[in-house]
Amino acid sequence: MQHKTLFAHRPIRRGRRTLGAAAAALALMALAACSAPAASSSGGDSGEIILGRSMDVSTLDPERSLCDSCQIYNGAVYDTLLAATTADGDLQPLLAQKWEANDDNTEFTFHLDPDAVFSDGSPVEAKDVKWSFERLANLKGDPSYFMAGVKEVAAPDAATVVVTTDAPNSAFFNVVTAGYTGIINSDVAIENGATADKDAAKTDKAEQWFLKNSAGAGQYVLTSYEEGSQLVLSENKNYWGDDKPNFKKVVIKDVPDASTQLQQLQQGDIDVAMQLSFDTLDQVKSDESLTSEVVPTYNYVYLGISPGAADAPKALDDKRVREALRKAIDYDTVIDATVAGQGSKQASAIPNGFEGSDGLDVPTYDPEGAKALLAEAGASNLKLEATYPTFTIYGVNFSTMFQSIQQSMKKAGIELTLNPLDYTAWGTKFGAGELPLTAVYFAPDHPDAVQYFQYFSLAKGASWLGYSGLSENTRETKGVAKALTETGDARAATYSELGQDMIDDAIILPVVNPQVILAGGSNVSGNNYHVTRNIDLRQLKFTD
Amino acid sequence: MSTDSTIAAGSPPGTRRASRLRPFLRPQIIGGSVVVLLWLLVIVLAGVLAPHDPMAASGPRLQAPSGAHWLGTDTLGRDVFSRMLYGARQSIPLAVLTLVISVVVGSLVGAIAGYFGGILDALVMRLADIVMAFPSILLAMAVTAALGPGLWHAFIAIVIVWWPIYARLMRGQVLSLKEREHVTAARAIGLGPWKTLFKHIVPHSLTPVIVSATIDLGTVIIMIASLSFLGLGALPPSPEWGAMITEGASNFYQWWIATGPGVAMVSIVLAVNFLGDGLRDVLDVKTRTR
Repeated sequence: MQHKTLFAHRPIRRGRRTLGAAAAALALMALAACSAPAASSSGGDSGEIILGRSMDVSTLDPERSLCDSCQIYNGAVYDTLLAATTADGDLQPLLAQKWEANDDNTEFTFHLDPDAVFSDGSPVEAKDVKWSFERLANLKGDPSYFMAGVKEVAAPDAATVVVTTDAPNSAFFNVVTAGYTGIINSDVAIENGATADKDAAKTDKAEQWFLKNSAGAGQYVLTSYEEGSQLVLSENKNYWGDDKPNFKKVVIKDVPDASTQLQQLQQGDIDVAMQLSFDTLDQVKSDESLTSEVVPTYNYVYLGISPGAADAPKALDDKRVREALRKAIDYDTVIDATVAGQGSKQASAIPNGFEGSDGLDVPTYDPEGAKALLAEAGASNLKLEATYPTFTIYGVNFSTMFQSIQQSMKKAGIELTLNPLDYTAWGTKFGAGELPLTAVYFAPDHPDAVQYFQYFSLAKGASWLGYSGLSENTRETKGVAKALTETGDARAATYSELGQDMIDDAIILPVVNPQVILAGGSNVSGNNYHVTRNIDLRQLKFTD
Repeated sequence: MSTDSTIAAGSPPGTRRASRLRPFLRPQIIGGSVVVLLWLLVIVLAGVLAPHDPMAASGPRLQAPSGAHWLGTDTLGRDVFSRMLYGARQSIPLAVLTLVISVVVGSLVGAIAGYFGGILDALVMRLADIVMAFPSILLAMAVTAALGPGLWHAFIAIVIVWWPIYARLMRGQVLSLKEREHVTAARAIGLGPWKTLFKHIVPHSLTPVIVSATIDLGTVIIMIASLSFLGLGALPPSPEWGAMITEGASNFYQWWIATGPGVAMVSIVLAVNFLGDGLRDVLDVKTRTR
């Protein structure tokens, strides 16, 4: 998920989170005051698991949502046509048992599993897929870009879906593993105000209904959602797959603060803590009542530069100046300060491990080189303001990160002033392309690297083409179109070239690709980081 | 309480200096003053006293207190002790300034409203009521959120929520004094309203306001720190106490990060509270109504 949506969706939340800081402080005192830790809250017997995470949900309509927590929810409640494996994102059947594309990747055929039924017991039919995809496109919401280039969705019979695209799109099978493309029970949704018509953006009235109900074919159904408190899912008794749900009830509790997550995990109030800080890793490891593992992720935090912003220094128009900024970041120190060294540097906007990321050079700290570049560009003594949201994501506290960057840039003669903003205020400015320098985060939505060009490059239609205020890089536009006609090694090579092109643009400067601590009670097994879902509930189990 | 209060009765001339000072020599006042003086010293001498640069890393990060770093280091390896000392330069002077401005604005408004009365009085006091109807920290948060984070914005926000306290206090004083004989006498000899107000009423009304302000100093220090704690006050990397405590809150296994600024804040707030209470007792100011 990504920020680009956040402001559209999360405004109300940020204010609450600010209060949350105070609440957290109070909670701390309360915790300190109560000495008797509760016994482990849940267990195999009750079949109820509680996950603690800082939630960024603002809608539970899968086709309007776009956020990290939404990935978990959509994945659990709305089965997709295909699924990605946890680690490497390989394709697996889900609602579609077979799938094939024509030779030039413009026509994609899915054969639905005849056993598949929705939570109300009605069969998953081609008309539901057609309706869901059309609604996703026509709502023109944050996740609608997954349907970009889709010309037609046809349902020749109840068990077959044929999607045709304007141009070759070899990434399409990957795209339909994204939870946002989950299939909705169209009859139920239509009854409750949803529509897939062309004007759905205006006429669809189902968003409120989706906050209280669900209509998917996933392992779980929505029981209740209280913003700022918890999201409760219960077992889908009609689940059609062979892998029955592992829990009767799944509670995702909103625990904004990492230290509170650890406290609650240690007290047994939650079974899994999803966002612990690496500074507490020693405590986690030494606690025998906990299980923990540190694994790599595909998430990252980056600096984004918008030379086109109204108050951006003229100097930012010069590629050499932007390149100097890249050299002026002391990556090792920043990674140490933000995630206690448990992260990697990343070359381009393609995260480490994604197709095309191999062979690109990771940046190095070179203050002298930065100075020389600035001098060459006539921009010595550069003054810049960094505006960023005051929050922590993937363990990276943006304020800590920028204070560290501020120190390293000082050595390169760059004077960086910091302007932390409330999330909503930041989001509005970011969305309008008003921030010369900011920091944002990104987690993959599906296992295909093409999303990174569609979002971060200066190719036609890319989100950052807008945010940066620069002009289109036609080489990248052609590269993306070319890559989508290719497969295999040829495509990987094109992706890699595009990665280098993005490095040369020097608009996106990845700072850290953090690892994550998978932490849970000792009776929890199968805790995981899932490439497109954050956590795959199918693998999570109680051992007793 | 002491009977030689200078205001209520007007002390007879010629009282010896020592006896005028004696009521002030109580443990509350002495203790409070010593701590306050120590902090004033820190404010002036922070640069000399601090062993390290408060803004730059001076060692490995998250080090526990040691000989090299008396209060350990924070997430960026900066010396917490040095930052705590420099933090006094932010919190205390700003709190004093906030109070001075609030007192000046509030007293002026309150005095004028109380003396002239009528519609002006009604309007000003209703405005004060409206402001005071909100929990002060909440209103200050709303104002800073609207203005954007920053210590100066926090300053403006606190002045906005704080002036009505002094306006009310001053108005009450003025109301009770304006019918006194010396005021009537002043008017009788033809003194204009402004002169009467500022020569014969306001000077005699100031003591309770000043005592109240002294007691409020602690609250204002906490408010500034609270706003910074919530990310609405001091901007990083400024070593403001509230901001430092925020950092400590998310690293509570590194207890020393929040402890230094926390203890510093407690000490100065306690000291000014003792001082304020002591002064109130000595000066026989009626218990404040808030």
